[in-house]
Amino acid sequence: MSGQFIAFFVLALLTIGGAVFMISFHRVVHMVVALAFTFLSIAGLYILLEAEFVAMTQILVYSGAISVLMLFGIMLTRHDASEVQEKKSPVKWLIRIGVSVFFIIVFLGIQSVQWSDKPADFTAKDNVKEIGVQMFTNYVIPFEMVSVLLLVALVGAIILAKKEAEEE
Amino acid sequence: MSVPINSYLLVALILFCIGLYGALTKRNAVVVLLSIELMLNAVNLNLVAFAKYGLFPHISGQIFSLFTITVAAAEAAVGLAILISLYRNRNTVQVDEMDLMKR
Amino acid sequence: MEMIANAWLVPLFPLLAFVLLVAFGRQLKEAAAYVGILATGASFVVALLIFFERFAEDAKDYIYNNFHWLTFAGKEITMGFEVNQLNAMMLVIVTLVSMLVHIYSRGYMHGDERFPVFYQYLALFTFSMLGVVLSPNILQLYIFWELVGVCSFLLVGFYFYKPEAKAAAKKAFIVTRIGDVGLFIGLALIFWWVGSFNYNDIFNKIEAGAVEEWKLTLIGILIFVGAVGKSGQFPLHTWLPDAMEGPTPVSALIHAATMVAAGVYLVARMYDLYLASPVAAETVAYIGGFTAIFAASIGLTQRDIKRVLAYSTVSQLGYMMLALGAASAAGYVAGTFHLMTHAFFKALLFLAAGSVIHAVHTQDIFEMGGLWKKMRITGLVFLIGCLAIAGIPPFAGFWSKEEILVATLSSGHIDLFVVALIAASFTAFYMFRLFFLTFSGQARGGAEAHESPGVMTVPMLVLAVLAVVAGFINTPWKPVLGEWLTDGFTMFHAGGHSAEHAAPVWVTLLAVGVSLVGIWLAWSMYGKGTIPQGEGGPLYRLSFHKYYVDEIYDAVFVKPLRAIGKGMYAFDVWVVDGLVRLVVAFTKGVGSTGARMQNGQVQTYGAIAFIGLVLLIAGLTIAGGYAEQWRTIFLQS
Repeated sequence: MSGQFIAFFVLALLTIGGAVFMISFHRVVHMVVALAFTFLSIAGLYILLEAEFVAMTQILVYSGAISVLMLFGIMLTRHDASEVQEKKSPVKWLIRIGVSVFFIIVFLGIQSVQWSDKPADFTAKDNVKEIGVQMFTNYVIPFEMVSVLLLVALVGAIILAKKEAEEE
Repeated sequence: MSVPINSYLLVALILFCIGLYGALTKRNAVVVLLSIELMLNAVNLNLVAFAKYGLFPHISGQIFSLFTITVAAAEAAVGLAILISLYRNRNTVQVDEMDLMKR
Repeated sequence: MEMIANAWLVPLFPLLAFVLLVAFGRQLKEAAAYVGILATGASFVVALLIFFERFAEDAKDYIYNNFHWLTFAGKEITMGFEVNQLNAMMLVIVTLVSMLVHIYSRGYMHGDERFPVFYQYLALFTFSMLGVVLSPNILQLYIFWELVGVCSFLLVGFYFYKPEAKAAAKKAFIVTRIGDVGLFIGLALIFWWVGSFNYNDIFNKIEAGAVEEWKLTLIGILIFVGAVGKSGQFPLHTWLPDAMEGPTPVSALIHAATMVAAGVYLVARMYDLYLASPVAAETVAYIGGFTAIFAASIGLTQRDIKRVLAYSTVSQLGYMMLALGAASAAGYVAGTFHLMTHAFFKALLFLAAGSVIHAVHTQDIFEMGGLWKKMRITGLVFLIGCLAIAGIPPFAGFWSKEEILVATLSSGHIDLFVVALIAASFTAFYMFRLFFLTFSGQARGGAEAHESPGVMTVPMLVLAVLAVVAGFINTPWKPVLGEWLTDGFTMFHAGGHSAEHAAPVWVTLLAVGVSLVGIWLAWSMYGKGTIPQGEGGPLYRLSFHKYYVDEIYDAVFVKPLRAIGKGMYAFDVWVVDGLVRLVVAFTKGVGSTGARMQNGQVQTYGAIAFIGLVLLIAGLTIAGGYAEQWRTIFLQS
C-alpha cells in the first residue's frame, strides 16, 4: 500500500464527498462551499497525475474565480433566504433511474477496456516547460483563439449584466 | 504499482453523474450552473488521466484540459450575466418559472 | 295458349299498382283505391282467362323457367313461372278475393289518414302471393314466401300507434319466421340431395325412386314446418289470433283466404313428396287433426268476434292439412277443394264481421245483439257464411267438408275421423253462438247501428253467392274439379289411387247430424236462452285462456332468450366495449403523457433527451452483445 494509493483514496473520497454534499445541502451558499472543496480535491488528483500546471490552474480558476463568481451570483439574485426546492417526485425518480443505468453501462465499459501498461513518463520532465513547448508550437492557434474567446465573453457578460441605460 | 486508470475514470464518472443529476433536477438556476461546472470538471479529470495512462499517453491531454478550463470559466461568467439579467426581469431564479416556451 | 304464356301479367298489375301508389299515393288520397281495384281487376280477368284455357280438354302445363339468375355449385338457378291446374285455381281465388277486399276497403278504410299506404301494402301483398303461386321452383317460392310474411307484418301493424298492433305484427313475423327456418333447411336439403330447386326435377327424381325414403321424410317434415308457421298450425298458431289487431279487410284477405292458404298450397304442390313418404304424410295429418280440434275448442269461449273467426280459420286449416295428410288422390282433392271454399266463406265472414264492427264500434260480442233488424244484408250474408262453414247442404262447405271426412276415413285413421267429427260439431256450435249473440235478441251495446254502404255490401254479396254455389263444382256425382286437379298426377295413377270414390251415405248423414246438434245447442244457449249459460268451470277457463299456450311460450322461450340477450348485452358493454374503452384510455394516456412532456421547462427537455440516450445505449448494450463481452472481461479483471 504505497503512499500514492492512500493519497488517491483520500482525495477521491474528498472529491466525491464534496459533490454529494453539494447535491444534498439545502442552502445555496453551503453548496458553493462544498463545491469549492471538490475543486480543491480535484487539483490534488491532478498533482497525483503529475499535471502540476493544470492543478495550479484549477485552483486559481475554479476554486478561486469561479466559486467567488457563483457567490456573487447568489448574493445578487437571492430574493429570499429560502431553501432550494426540488422537482416533483415522478420525474425525479425517472431521472435517478436513468442516471443509474447510465452509470452502470459506462462503468462496465470502463472495466472492459484493455488499458495499456506503459504510462507516459513525466517524472523527468518539467511539466510547465512541456506544456509551454506544446502550447506555442502545435497549439498556438487555439491558444490565440481562446484569448479572443475570453475577450468576447468579457464584453458579452458586461453588456448582458448592465442595467438598462434609461432605467435609473 | 500505481493507481490504475480505472479508478480515476470511475471517480470522474461518479462526479459526472452527480453533476448530471443536479443539472436536471435542481430548481435554482445558480445550482444548475454549479452542477454544469462539476460535469466539466469530471471531463477534465478524464482528460488528464488519459494524458498519463491512456492508450496513447501524451501531454496533449493536459493542454486540452487547460482549454476546457478556460472555456468553462468564460461560460460561467456569461451564464451568470444572463441569470442576473433574467432576475432583474422576472424577480425569480427558479427554473420552473422560466417557461415562456410553452405558451 | 296465348294467355297462359302471359301469366306473368297477373302479378305484374299489382306490382305496377304498388309502384304507382308509392310514387303518387299522397296526391291520390282516396283515389288510390281505384288504382288498386283496377289492377286487381285486371289480374282477375287475366286469371280467369288462364283458368278457362287450362280447363280446356287438351291443355297442358306451361313452364317458363329460363331466366338465369345465378350459378353455384355448378348448377344453374333459374326463375320463371309455371301454370298448372293447382296454380290456375289459386290464381283465380287470390285475385278474386283480393279484388273484392280492395273494393270493400274503399268503404271500410274511408277517412283513414294513411289510406293510400293501406292500398300500397295490399297491392304488394297481392303481388307476393301471386308470386308464391306462380313459382316453378321452390327457391323462388321461398323468396315470395318471405315477401308475403313482410306484407303481413306491415298490414297487421298498420295501426302502429297501438302497442298491441305493434306487438302483434312482430309476433306474426317472428313466429312465421320460425316455420320458415324449417322450410329453408328443407330447401337446402332438397338442393343437396336432389340437385335442383325446380319442382319437375324434384318430382322426376322422386318418381324414379332416386332418393331414399328417410331423406324424403325429413324433407317432407321440414317443409311442413314451414307450412305450420304460415298456416298457423299447432304449435305455431299463436300469431294468428293476435294478428286480428290489423284492419278487418286485412284479416279477410290475408288471414282467411290467401296467406294462410299458402301453407296448404305448399304441401299440395309438393304432394309427390308426401305420397312417397307415409311418415311425413301422417305427421301432416295428425298435426292438422289436432289443430282442428284444439283451435275449435278455444273458439268456443272467445268474446271477440274476430278472434272467434281467427280460431275458426286455424281449425279449418287443420282440416285441410288433415285431408292432405291422407296421402291419396281423394285427400289431395279434398284439401284443395276446401281451400277454395274456405277462402270464399271465411273472407265473407270476416267482411261481414268488419261491417258489424264498423257499425257498432266494438268487437265484443257480448255487447252486440239485435242487429238483424238493423243490418239485414250483413246479417243475411253472415248467416250464409255460418251455414257454409258448418257444413249444411247445399252450401259450399258441406261438399268440401264431406270429402275431407271421406278421405280421412279411407286413409284408415279412425281416430282422426272421430276428431274431425267432434271438431265439426264445435265449429257449428261456436259459429252459431257468434251469430246469435251478434244478431238476435236485444241490443246490449249502446251504439246506433245502421247498414253499411254499398261499396261494402256488394263484395259481401258476391262472396255469399260463391259460398252457395262454389260447392257444386265438385259433387260426388260429378267430381269435375277432382278429376281436373288430379289429371296430370302420374303418381296417383301409378300408385293405384284414383279420384273415384263413392261417399258412404252414413258419413254424410253423420256429418250433417253433428253440425245440426251444434247449431241446436247454440240456439238453445244463446238464441232462445233455454239452457242457461252458466258459470265458467275449469274447462271454460282453460279454453278462454287459449290453454295458456302463450304464457307457456313466454316462460319457456321468451324469458330465457331475453335473459340470454341481456347477458350478451352485458358482455358487449363490459367486454367488447371495455376493450374499446381500454384502447381509448391507452391512447389518451399516451397523449396526455406527451402533453405533459411539453411544458416549456428546459430541464424536462434535458431529462427526456438524456433518458432517450440512456435507452439507446442500454439497448445497444443488451442487443449488441456488449453486455456478455463486458461481463466476461469484468469478471476476468
